[in-house]
Amino acid sequence: MQTEATPAQADVSELDLVKRCQAGQADAFDELVVRYRTRIFGMIYNMVHNEQDAWDLAQDSFVKAWKSIKRFRGRSSFYTWMYRIVMNVTIDWLRKKQIKGAGAEFDDSIQLKEIDPASKTVPKPDALPHERMERSEIRAQIDNAISQLTPEHRAVILMKEIEDMQYHEMAEALGCSIGTVMSRLFYARKKLQALLKDVYENI
Amino acid sequence: MKTFEEKWTAWLDGQLTGKELVEFEASLSDRAAAEAEKRAAHQLGALLKRELGAETLTNEEFFSHQLRERIAREDTVPSRSGTVSSWWTIPRLFWTGATSLALFLICTFVVVKEKNPAGQSDSLTQVLRMQLDPSTGPNATLTIFEAKEDRVTVLWTEGLQSLPADYAAK
Repeated sequence: MQTEATPAQADVSELDLVKRCQAGQADAFDELVVRYRTRIFGMIYNMVHNEQDAWDLAQDSFVKAWKSIKRFRGRSSFYTWMYRIVMNVTIDWLRKKQIKGAGAEFDDSIQLKEIDPASKTVPKPDALPHERMERSEIRAQIDNAISQLTPEHRAVILMKEIEDMQYHEMAEALGCSIGTVMSRLFYARKKLQALLKDVYENI
Repeated sequence: MKTFEEKWTAWLDGQLTGKELVEFEASLSDRAAAEAEKRAAHQLGALLKRELGAETLTNEEFFSHQLRERIAREDTVPSRSGTVSSWWTIPRLFWTGATSLALFLICTFVVVKEKNPAGQSDSLTQVLRMQLDPSTGPNATLTIFEAKEDRVTVLWTEGLQSLPADYAAK
């Protein structure tokens, strides 16, 4: 598998790849993974704030996509369809974690204990996420602010501000109405504005 | 009919146009404060994009490799589990349930019957016949009639030449 799509590969339409996937061709799915893995991972990472969890959730999302690719009818783009899977997987996971951890999910001391050094899904066993990524103070404040949002509010704000998705695409990805998306955006922005006022006003 | 939140969001994102835009802006009590909030929202958006938008996946090759392995593994497992799960269709579940229930009823009937053998059945009158010791009479028979309802037991003997001493009632 190649990490970057060559121009020839880029010419291959998404729909063709999807059709080949539906015919059971795993190499076509590989290509779709190459195209979207970074964006998918980034989106999940910004929601869960833990590289290992984001890695696993991205893997889970792609596996689910592969298993259900035959049900993809092409009414939306593959990416929107994929996003729906990603959102379902991630929001479910966040809800379960919130129930289990009672809101302590971003306590660093807990995260360290939870990381299994023998886990096969650790991308780089020699470096923990927070060691590899020198987070700036701003980044920490943003992460902290986002963590105070509900999973649904996190999803809409990230899809809108990072992915530049349209309301209808977000609605499709989240399985709700456009009005709900707009309403969630309203409250998510209000909350983030209150929490990050000092940050964005002083930059 | 859009709610205020929906209109506000659309206004921030530049999605309100025409009459809707004019009406919404006219409805704002403090236009200057609203404009300031709009600017703040845009600043927030820019900050998020700058800080969070650069998130990259390290070890992309390993990610794809691991995914391929997992898919290959799960592709073989579902074919087995798929056979199992496809067997449990709703009609089959129904028939399995019905068969289990029937078996249970049969077993229950047998067990209950065992607990109440013929000699102690619920019939109103039971009759027991037996052949007596030939020494007491070659054709001697004993018949017992037991009427549960009347709490009566009748012993009917025939062909006895004499009543053995150990047969005597005490």
